[in-house]
Amino acid sequence: MSRSRTEIDSSEIIGLIDNVLNTVAETLEDGVFPEIGYYGASKKNVFYQEDAGYVSIDETPSFIDGRKVESAKTVASFVYGLSRFKEHLEQNMSMSLRDFYYMHKVKHVQDVLKIIDQNETNRLINLCERVIRHNGASVPREELGVVSSPKGTFYGDITISDMSKKRLNCTSAGEYGWFISSRPFDVKIHDINIDAAIFIEKEAMARNLIELEIPEDLRIGVGALFGQPGRNMRAWIRRLADEEIPILILVDMSPWSLRIFSTIKSNSIELANIRGLATPEAKLLGITTDDFWGKRGMLTEIEHSLESMTKSDLKCAQQNKNIPAISQDQLLSRQNEIMLKKKRKGELEAFKSFGLPLAELKGFYIKYLKTKSSDLDVKVI
Amino acid sequence: MFTSNVHTQDIVELSVSAWFYRNKTIAGFDNPARSLYVAVRELVENSLDACEEIRILPEITVLLRNEEESSRVDLLNQGPENFELVVKDNGIGMKRDSIPLLLGKMLTGTKFSHRQSRGTFGLGGSLALLYGQVTTQKPIEIVTGQKGQPHGYSVKMRLDIENNRPVILEEDRVSKGADEHGTMITFSLQGDWLRSKRRIIDYFNQTGIIVPYASLFFETPDNEVYKYDRIIHSIPRPSVATKPHPRGIDVEMLKSMISTTRARSLKSFLTTSFQRVGDKKASEFLVFARLDPERVPDSLSMDELVRMMNSMEKFERFLPPSPNSLSPVGTEVLLAGIKRLSPEFVVFRQRPPNVYEGHPFIVETGVAYGGDLSAGAHIIRFANRIPLLYDERSDISHRVVRDLNLKNYGLRQEDPLTFIMHICSTKIPYKTVGKEYIADVDSVRREIELGFKECLRDLSERLRKRTKTQKYQKRESRLASYYRFIAEILKTATGREVQLERFHFEGGDNQ
Repeated sequence: MSRSRTEIDSSEIIGLIDNVLNTVAETLEDGVFPEIGYYGASKKNVFYQEDAGYVSIDETPSFIDGRKVESAKTVASFVYGLSRFKEHLEQNMSMSLRDFYYMHKVKHVQDVLKIIDQNETNRLINLCERVIRHNGASVPREELGVVSSPKGTFYGDITISDMSKKRLNCTSAGEYGWFISSRPFDVKIHDINIDAAIFIEKEAMARNLIELEIPEDLRIGVGALFGQPGRNMRAWIRRLADEEIPILILVDMSPWSLRIFSTIKSNSIELANIRGLATPEAKLLGITTDDFWGKRGMLTEIEHSLESMTKSDLKCAQQNKNIPAISQDQLLSRQNEIMLKKKRKGELEAFKSFGLPLAELKGFYIKYLKTKSSDLDVKVI
Repeated sequence: MFTSNVHTQDIVELSVSAWFYRNKTIAGFDNPARSLYVAVRELVENSLDACEEIRILPEITVLLRNEEESSRVDLLNQGPENFELVVKDNGIGMKRDSIPLLLGKMLTGTKFSHRQSRGTFGLGGSLALLYGQVTTQKPIEIVTGQKGQPHGYSVKMRLDIENNRPVILEEDRVSKGADEHGTMITFSLQGDWLRSKRRIIDYFNQTGIIVPYASLFFETPDNEVYKYDRIIHSIPRPSVATKPHPRGIDVEMLKSMISTTRARSLKSFLTTSFQRVGDKKASEFLVFARLDPERVPDSLSMDELVRMMNSMEKFERFLPPSPNSLSPVGTEVLLAGIKRLSPEFVVFRQRPPNVYEGHPFIVETGVAYGGDLSAGAHIIRFANRIPLLYDERSDISHRVVRDLNLKNYGLRQEDPLTFIMHICSTKIPYKTVGKEYIADVDSVRREIELGFKECLRDLSERLRKRTKTQKYQKRESRLASYYRFIAEILKTATGREVQLERFHFEGGDNQ
């Protein structure tokens, strides 16, 4: 099964939308209530594979029965949504989830559909992704013109052309590097001069590494996730992995950060129907429980900087046991167990608690990155 | 030994009217506000009775005017004022000779028989006139005429309280058409309009409900007019005077019945003087009372009379009293009357006749819902077609309503609900002489409770049906609006006109 999505252009998408709209129209003219089938994000339709992440198997379909009042409302918003996607695609315009919500506030639409919060329209987009299919896979909303606000940056010697059509190098696109496109699959990659890419949960540490010129010294790319990565960032990571660039992830040592890593690696149950969001090749670089408590741990010296886990941290760790991508992953479930036992957590900022002069700090960063990546069989200079 | 100073104390003999006047509070004439209300009520009721007696649709006009032009500066501290009250009806009218007796003398009248009537003694009207004369010292004017008579009479009179007799001051014949009939009474009385206004208007509102076959017109001292047009043209069947039922008789009454009977044996006395006592029952009873059926009634000793009375109380096989002496309003008339409140739904039930302490009674209950009714449960009470306005909380129907579990009927406490209760009886079980609320009598309470429960069951069934239809219609209209919307969107998005003609929204699920 291909992990990436197949190429599809907007005229094909418009064709798919027209197809659906015409089918609804014909059904109505026959005097029959429309029925829409789709595969939901239930446990029956999604399963976890260690080497592929969450995979959608489309086994048990769900149906929206237009005879029921609430379902008729869904059908109406579905048809309305598709008509707006079509219009936007024809004009080459994108919209945000919030834009889409506000399109339901058009007076004559609101009078009929009476949408009162964005969750409803978000669910509707999710439904559209599931219903509009191409080559046996969901068409992601980005293809329908709906993009969420892009999040995340990438710095490193890669030359690309994004939606601006301009050719640019990710080391000279501003102080953080390149602001990841909302549609990474449409980005053209011209040239790659890095041996690995490190994605860091926190923007501050990523900037420090850039300021210390570590990307240049180690021939690596540095991305900032800004917390839980958006769909665009995950798709960009997938793109790089497709180019056979080793992917290393540097996050806090906390149950939440395990989730961040697992979404990058395995995608999520909710979005299992969207291809190209999982990167099973991604490796957890740090910071891990072994760094603090392992025999060869590189951070044992600053073990005192660890903080106690809060109630919600503990709850999160408990719930992690029920997340297949964590509980069925040996490494992640072990991390989770140790955190639960020690009841302490560490943050990337811990490096600062060594109190090293800046020159020595750079040296330590380089030593840490090199050692840890070679542990993972990734070689950096 | 008697000492002489015992004899020096004066012994005063009171006439009947003097006694009543001194004890006027028992009939409700205790303060100017209440007196004004009671006077209006008593005279209107006399008028209604005068019409219903000859089965004529009542037309009653009441004018209440302030006699002095008061300055109206200090409304709150205003004391009692003098009012002129005019009550005019199209009733049976009075013969010239009956006028002074019916109106001017206490304890004379037409209401001393065993049948249902609004008043108990016909005392209220006379007492109202008496109260008016005492507080204002003005004479009473009566104009009356009967059907078939060439002329009517106009009489101006005063009441001689000490001697319980009327004194005619002036009298005249008045010309009238042969078919005209009715009575108009004009007199003055002291009252407090400000403090009785609410009550008097409530009285008219509720009377309008219980006698929807009457036309009522009331002009207030503030020159406001309350008009209740007739909404139904049938009068309830009048009650028939019946013989007393053996249960509930006392020795005095037994004595007086024996003194007037023509029967020569106890057995025939029983069968002729009491209702629902035949030969068989009479014999059974006399065996029970250990009395000889052939005894001449006159010859009974005091002890034997007492024994007979006690046996009547204890003898359990008398048939229940006849309901012929009762005149329930009937659901048709009640339904018409309640229209004045414009509810959405009304249910009325007439319970079968029942008995308490030897008095027959019939309870009619109703529950009105929605429409113009205000939120919360309200109770409107009537007894022998008189609205009961005071002391609602002490009334038995209030307790019954309070104990109802509205949830069982799919209703909530705050729903617009009005409970209507009418009890008719030859003797209403009032708790007090003021005739304001019904006492807690087991059989009465049970009838009211069963009546309300039947009404509520019926009402909840109707509400359920309505909600179902509403839901169904709402669903249909929502479905239709969604599909019209879809057709409209499809038209703009694909350019094709989608015809919904073959589409039937009723065909969907019935959730």
